Amino acid sequence: MEDVIRGFQLLMEVQNLALIFGGVLIGVLVGALPGLSSPMAIALLMPFTISLDPVASISMMAALYCAGTFGGSITAILINAPGAPPAVATALDGYMMAKKGEPGRALGLAAICSVLGGIFAIVIFLFATPLLAEIALKFGPVEYFGLTLFALSMLAAMSGKSSIRNLIAGAMGVLVSTIGVHLATGVERYEFGVPELTEGIKFVPVLIGLFAMSELLNQSKTLNAAVERMSAKALKLPTIAELKELKGTILRSSGLGTFIGILPAEGATVAAMMGYNEAKRFSKTPEKFGTGCAEGIAGPEAANNAAAGGAMVPTLALGIPGSGTTALILAALVMHGFRPGPYLISETPHLVYAIFGAMLFANFAFLGIGLVGAKFFSYVTFIPKRFLWPSVFIFSLIGSYAYSSAIFDVWVMLISGIIGYFALRNGFSPAPFVMGLILGKMVEETFTQSMVIYESNFFNFFESGVFIFFIILTCISLTTPFWGTIRKKLAAKKVE
Amino acid sequence: MSDQKKIHDFAPRTLGAGFVHKKDLVLAIILVAFGAFMYYEASKFPEAPAILGDTLNADVFPKMLITIMFLLVAIIPFEFKLTPDKVAKIDKDRDDKTLTITWLTILLLLTIVSFAEFLGAVVTMVITCLALPLLWGERNYIAVIIYSILFPGFVYLLFNKLLGLYFNPGILEAFK
Repeated sequence: MEDVIRGFQLLMEVQNLALIFGGVLIGVLVGALPGLSSPMAIALLMPFTISLDPVASISMMAALYCAGTFGGSITAILINAPGAPPAVATALDGYMMAKKGEPGRALGLAAICSVLGGIFAIVIFLFATPLLAEIALKFGPVEYFGLTLFALSMLAAMSGKSSIRNLIAGAMGVLVSTIGVHLATGVERYEFGVPELTEGIKFVPVLIGLFAMSELLNQSKTLNAAVERMSAKALKLPTIAELKELKGTILRSSGLGTFIGILPAEGATVAAMMGYNEAKRFSKTPEKFGTGCAEGIAGPEAANNAAAGGAMVPTLALGIPGSGTTALILAALVMHGFRPGPYLISETPHLVYAIFGAMLFANFAFLGIGLVGAKFFSYVTFIPKRFLWPSVFIFSLIGSYAYSSAIFDVWVMLISGIIGYFALRNGFSPAPFVMGLILGKMVEETFTQSMVIYESNFFNFFESGVFIFFIILTCISLTTPFWGTIRKKLAAKKVE
Repeated sequence: MSDQKKIHDFAPRTLGAGFVHKKDLVLAIILVAFGAFMYYEASKFPEAPAILGDTLNADVFPKMLITIMFLLVAIIPFEFKLTPDKVAKIDKDRDDKTLTITWLTILLLLTIVSFAEFLGAVVTMVITCLALPLLWGERNYIAVIIYSILFPGFVYLLFNKLLGLYFNPGILEAFK
């Protein structure tokens, strides 16, 4: 209880509250601007938070994450261009409702369902995180190695264009994490005579490059794309009767979203799509989906915001990111000197409760911001790309330089961006790479320790029941993406 | 006619008429070459000193990882047979050629970063704010000039004056 009070006390400091509110504002803004995303904003913000209070910085990023998920639905509803991938499903009915002349109602529904989904997940987060951490504290290196393998295997099912490419990107991320001095032997690996590589590749410039620079190059192709904008004069909250009608959808999607969020590597995008599909499946009027029905907005919105809260659970309790954005928050935790994983709760419990408070605050703050600033956010989309993206480049430049005042990091950022752009064109998403990069050290460390414990015999790892459990989960998650195709082929053969 | 040709070209690769997907084969070759290079580099890592006992050598983990990568990469040219819809989507993105403007943007960004240390932070920001919008076809010159003064000014005040971030003066040092 003392830790809860301490965490909240930290939040209540004016400077910290201002930072969290700033995070919410930035989150809604970047969420609303197509092309900009919350991972990108967190990557850009990260170097500037070094000098700030660590608890406030992490809380600000968590608030930004929550608000960014909602912000993405603003453009999904008003211009049919989801500001962030989790809002793709919202666009299906949100934009249609806006087209029918009810943009304010669509935004109101999205806001309130996001808040409800978010609060549901935060309550689960509050109880599940310490429980999960307590279990994880009993894990030895081999169990942790099994867990990280499972987390990496989940990349196969992560939203993206191809499961195989996600796994390759993840493996590539782990490989890049091996650059630098090998801690166990002191051997320098892959430094190619470049002294800066001895310390390894720094997260921040790579993250900025992959999320901001590659998108900048992507945007250079669509400079003249015209979009039809709906202007929303005010956000119209749903009535109590309307909410009562939607309560089943909201509850179901919140539960589903939280569960999907908790699964390593799964994020808000998968949750939103599943939330939409389940809302349609349980609906009495599924034929109305896609024509601007309220359930079509409530389902994905409750789910995607719940997933944002859920994704924080494995991130904080196990040190395994629940999504691409939480992978960045994990990197920020490491940057600020915290130990993500079960020790985070035993060593710095106030931080976990401060994050919990920040996310709760963020949920109410973006509702308030949405109510007051709906009209403003509909204008945000008018910022010309020709001025917006050079500004992003400048922030990227300064962000990557500020991290350690080295031009080398700027080069890393730019090269990562260029590689990221071409990789994206070939079906490789940046999120799995980032997950691999961040988990890489943990995978190698736990593998090496396990090999020492089990006398360099991998098969001895199977003496641990927990390891076997994670290996079974790993096999399931690796094969899941292909079940659909196999089933289809079998069905086709049957028909023949 | 050209549209018809495009559809005809697109179909064999994605719908499984061929044995391998040509573009993915090229991609796989690039990835294998990269992996082989990293594997070769890993085999040059020195062995762990005997005093460390059973500790694994520094090359074991990277080599294991690269082997797994090879196995995954081997699937790529045949992935269109496993998940044709997904590969068709990737093909759609790839068929959209990288435009001249994107290449020029890459070139401009590389040039800017090459000279960033010499020019200094403020001048680099001003040049970026002038060059990038102009390259991208912005013809409202007054807006570009205002933007290239106001935005770097704002960034300088916020990060240098307010947050105390070090900005390399570059060529501006000569005017101090």
